[in-house]
Amino acid sequence: MRRSSTLGRAVLALGQIMLALIILVPFFWMVSVSLKPATEPFAIPARLWPDQPTLENYATAFRPEFRIYFLNSIVVSLSTVVITVSFALLAAYTFTRTQTRLILICMSLVIAAQMFPASAIIIPIYKLMRSADLLNTYASLILAYITVTLPVAIWMLRAFMARLPVELDEAAAIDGCGPLRTFFAVILPLCRPGIAATAVFVLIVTWQEFLFALSFTSTREMRTLPVGINDFIGQYGIRYGELMASSVLISLPVVAVFFLLQRQFVAGLTAGALRG
Amino acid sequence: MHKRNRWLAWVFLVPAMIPVAILMYYPMVGTAIESFYSTSFINPNPQFVGLELYRELFASGEFGTIVWNSCIWTVFVVLFQNLFGFAVALLLDRELPTSGLMRSLVLLPWVLPGVVAAILWRFMYDPQLGLINSFLVRIGLSGGGQAWLAEPATAMGAAIVAAIWKGFPFSTIVYLAALQNVDREQVEAATIDGAGAWRRLIHVVIPSMREVIVINLVLTTMLTFNYFDMIWVLTRGGPQNATHIFPTKIYELGFGQFRFGEAATYGVFSILVLAVLLALYFLARSAGGRRSMARG
Repeated sequence: MRRSSTLGRAVLALGQIMLALIILVPFFWMVSVSLKPATEPFAIPARLWPDQPTLENYATAFRPEFRIYFLNSIVVSLSTVVITVSFALLAAYTFTRTQTRLILICMSLVIAAQMFPASAIIIPIYKLMRSADLLNTYASLILAYITVTLPVAIWMLRAFMARLPVELDEAAAIDGCGPLRTFFAVILPLCRPGIAATAVFVLIVTWQEFLFALSFTSTREMRTLPVGINDFIGQYGIRYGELMASSVLISLPVVAVFFLLQRQFVAGLTAGALRG
Repeated sequence: MHKRNRWLAWVFLVPAMIPVAILMYYPMVGTAIESFYSTSFINPNPQFVGLELYRELFASGEFGTIVWNSCIWTVFVVLFQNLFGFAVALLLDRELPTSGLMRSLVLLPWVLPGVVAAILWRFMYDPQLGLINSFLVRIGLSGGGQAWLAEPATAMGAAIVAAIWKGFPFSTIVYLAALQNVDREQVEAATIDGAGAWRRLIHVVIPSMREVIVINLVLTTMLTFNYFDMIWVLTRGGPQNATHIFPTKIYELGFGQFRFGEAATYGVFSILVLAVLLALYFLARSAGGRRSMARG
């Protein structure tokens, strides 16, 4: 909170208006074109809002294969969120409560993996999936996504759990709780905001993942939304009305979840970033 | 956890460590091994060729182009994403009636799925229908028809702008949180000493955020160097290799042409870049750790 002079405030307000335009104009245009009837021609210079907005592009965009992509994305993303967050909770608990040299080394190795370049290691991963006969299955995507999201998830949850005092665990032990019961009955309920933040992060990452999905799926039945919409460009030439309607449909679920859980999400993300 | 429960600590760790070991650490080694074998679409059985693929890599002019493109791409995206992200963080740190709303809105581009953002920008750059040409025509700066993504001279710049738009919110949120952690008393002391806003920023605020800034720079450098979605959807590395960077080249060689060995040689270089950046990251962290210990 800082006070500024009237002139200063005017300059800041102008800056915020510019920022809002930079962020929102592309979104506004995406929605505008998605509502444009196929019969209304594109004009130069572009018209910012269609004369007769219609939902017909959405009806066309929601074709059968799009529904399959949607279902695939939901299955893969939700499975990843549940498994990653569970595994990360267990690991983060150990990392904040048991600090032997070996465990600290393991922690550094796991957390460093968040920077690994997916494209550089994708070929051996592809070959592993192929020899396990997992290519073109949900399992190949879920396994890859769990692996790439775990390091960040552990990093976020560890920052969160480090703030829960060890005295809690000790008090629970004095009250006769075993370590498992301490974890499930005392620690987990207190982690709810951290779990929400981590789950949103994992969802945002997996919902948009493109490279693994593009490389590991080969039939339309297994495509996820990002790959599906990318195919859509080539298949029908560029029909921007439908393409923008599909884009809105793909973005809605993550944008909605993000706005619902935004406060926890930002707190969780920055706690991880600031603690390092 | 008590000492007698140390075995339980390992039980808790195993589910996370096994996938990371098998699908991240093993493939780092696997990529290096892969780069010694040659495969192709016609001849899919790997053949050991030693360092032959590296020799071909250095002999081809393409490798130089891709290193150069990757440098331009990474340096400009990281620099402007962080500069712009920091400026926006300063802007939103001030209390205006709209600051709260803007802090929510600012993350929108980052939440938008990468492929969707890329398609949206491809559309913005469209020579006939795009909003950018439309705007330039309206203000009289252009006669229209500029094919931003199809011209080698403008394609990389266009991709960089799109990537900055997508990525700056992440930097903003990190810097905003760091700004809110800056010691208010120090800032006020500097104000009393007569330091203007600019001097407070340079001499008090930025030095106290140094650690966060370095870590964020390293992190965004790694993410940008390996950012596949944006360029693949915008240009697929074209026109004439003008926008090909490491990840797009690896994908094209590996999954477009099934030349896993060649793709892996590029992968090995990506891993070397990672190694250098990780070294910087841990140096920055341990330097930061010493400083905070020194502060007590």
